[in-house]
Amino acid sequence: MSVTNRGREFLKTGAAYVREHRRARLGLFVGIPASVLVVFFIFPLVTMAWMSFLSDMPPAPLTLEHYLRIFTGDTYLTVLWRTTVLTVQTTVIVVVLGYILAYSIARFTKRTTIVLLLIILPFWTNYIVRMYALINIFQFGGALDTVLMAAGLAAEPSGIMYTHMAVLLGLTYVWLPLATFPFYASLTNLDTDLIDASKDLGAGPIKTFVRVTLPMTKNGLIAGIVLVSVPAFGSFVTPALLGGTNVLMVGMVIEEQFAAAFNWPFGSALGMVVTAIVVLIVGLGFWLGAGGQLGGDAE
Amino acid sequence: MSAFDRLETAIHRHGKTVGLALMVTILTLIWIPIGVVTLMSFASEGVLSFPPETYTLDWYVSVLQNDTAIDATLTSLKVSLVATPITVFISLIAAFGIARYDFKGKDGLQMLLTLPIIVPLVVTGVAMTLFFGRIGLSSGFSTVLIAHVVRTVPFAALIIIPTVLSFDRTLEEASKDLGADELRTFRRVTLPNILPGVIAGGLLAFTISFNEFVYTYFVRDTATQTLPVYMWGLIRDSITPEVNVISVLFLLLAAGVLLIAVSLTSLKRLILRG
Repeated sequence: MSVTNRGREFLKTGAAYVREHRRARLGLFVGIPASVLVVFFIFPLVTMAWMSFLSDMPPAPLTLEHYLRIFTGDTYLTVLWRTTVLTVQTTVIVVVLGYILAYSIARFTKRTTIVLLLIILPFWTNYIVRMYALINIFQFGGALDTVLMAAGLAAEPSGIMYTHMAVLLGLTYVWLPLATFPFYASLTNLDTDLIDASKDLGAGPIKTFVRVTLPMTKNGLIAGIVLVSVPAFGSFVTPALLGGTNVLMVGMVIEEQFAAAFNWPFGSALGMVVTAIVVLIVGLGFWLGAGGQLGGDAE
Repeated sequence: MSAFDRLETAIHRHGKTVGLALMVTILTLIWIPIGVVTLMSFASEGVLSFPPETYTLDWYVSVLQNDTAIDATLTSLKVSLVATPITVFISLIAAFGIARYDFKGKDGLQMLLTLPIIVPLVVTGVAMTLFFGRIGLSSGFSTVLIAHVVRTVPFAALIIIPTVLSFDRTLEEASKDLGADELRTFRRVTLPNILPGVIAGGLLAFTISFNEFVYTYFVRDTATQTLPVYMWGLIRDSITPEVNVISVLFLLLAAGVLLIAVSLTSLKRLILRG
């Protein structure tokens, strides 16, 4: 009894202290979230950065050899180049399809909610499940082969698993919703009076789109490009399941250095390079004006 | 009439039809893979031939009798049900800190909260493994839990911070003027107002945690096998028809959680922040 009383008393004093001292309260509100992320997110990245300069497993002397190895030989430049190509291709396809989708939802259909739900639901479904769904279609004798053969476009099953095309389609499939949403947001925020004004002044649909709609949705467009290209560049699950060793992306090489090759310092260096590239993409996006859409401010 | 003019007239006349047709086509393409998986989960021949010739519920029964699958599901639930309240608590106090105080480094905190979304999962996953190794924290439930909190906080915060920011504080003052103390005001006024947004943030955190794969893959030990990790193993080693069934269950779970989240907050907020 007295123990609980004392405990209650202690809590009360503590609560009163925190209530009365602004600094203590601030420390609690800001300190807890900040320290969780600093300790368990920033510290790991710092550990990785440090590891990337070690010649071997610690303790070991400092070196730049891993970075030199990435940028001087052909092997890793090829992987980085392939990753870049796939990221650019994915982003272009996703931006075009996503914009068409967002435009049609914003302008042409009244069933906005149901259509948005139909787009977001697959996106909320497990990533690996979505990859597996594509395997069902891409594999030898899968749904794609069945359709192609029935249409007379293919004589025998071939499948497209473990090809560049499979990885590209996979990345497009998973990231399409992520670009559609910011496009949709910026299109619905666009004042339709401007469109009417442009048309009243004699501009046709193409001119109106190029001169009014596109520039007015620029920020949403940039946000979509960043939101898609960043995860695409760092992807590991999609190329691992759909591309295999035929379509090596940099995320897979990082995983391989840790899980199979046990060259942690080299894997760390690759990780730092990927992080630098991704931070560069995001910084560029912010600089070009996508800041508001990428998070931070209130609606 | 120039070709350009003709094109403009065509767009003017048929733009809407073409746009809608493209929309329906894209939606169909998005849903075909999911439809195929669902269909295949009832196929008696297993995974190889499409379309299936005969249908059965056997694979659903065999998943229910598969102890490894059930263990993985329980592990996933355990991780997500512990990680979600921690994530909501962290996001909530961060939201109050940001909404109610002016302090140096506010932008820094907001950035810190979104940063884990930006850094590629495989990089953070590996970095965490290195860090846990350095500080001597052995892989297991605790490392998976920490990873899940780091993974879900940014998403929950992106929903919960705007919720707290948009809460009208004059309601609190009114409550205090009417004689309610701080605790009572929080319980009776503040909490009911922000609760829908907080629950939506929690549901998003739960969904992301339950589906989390990459971080878990790196920081786990062999005893801590979540459902997505189990799925990964099944797909890589030997594809069994049970994978189709588990996929359908994942889809149903996503649909259920999404509908609850949408009914609690606006679809727009979920879409633009999630």
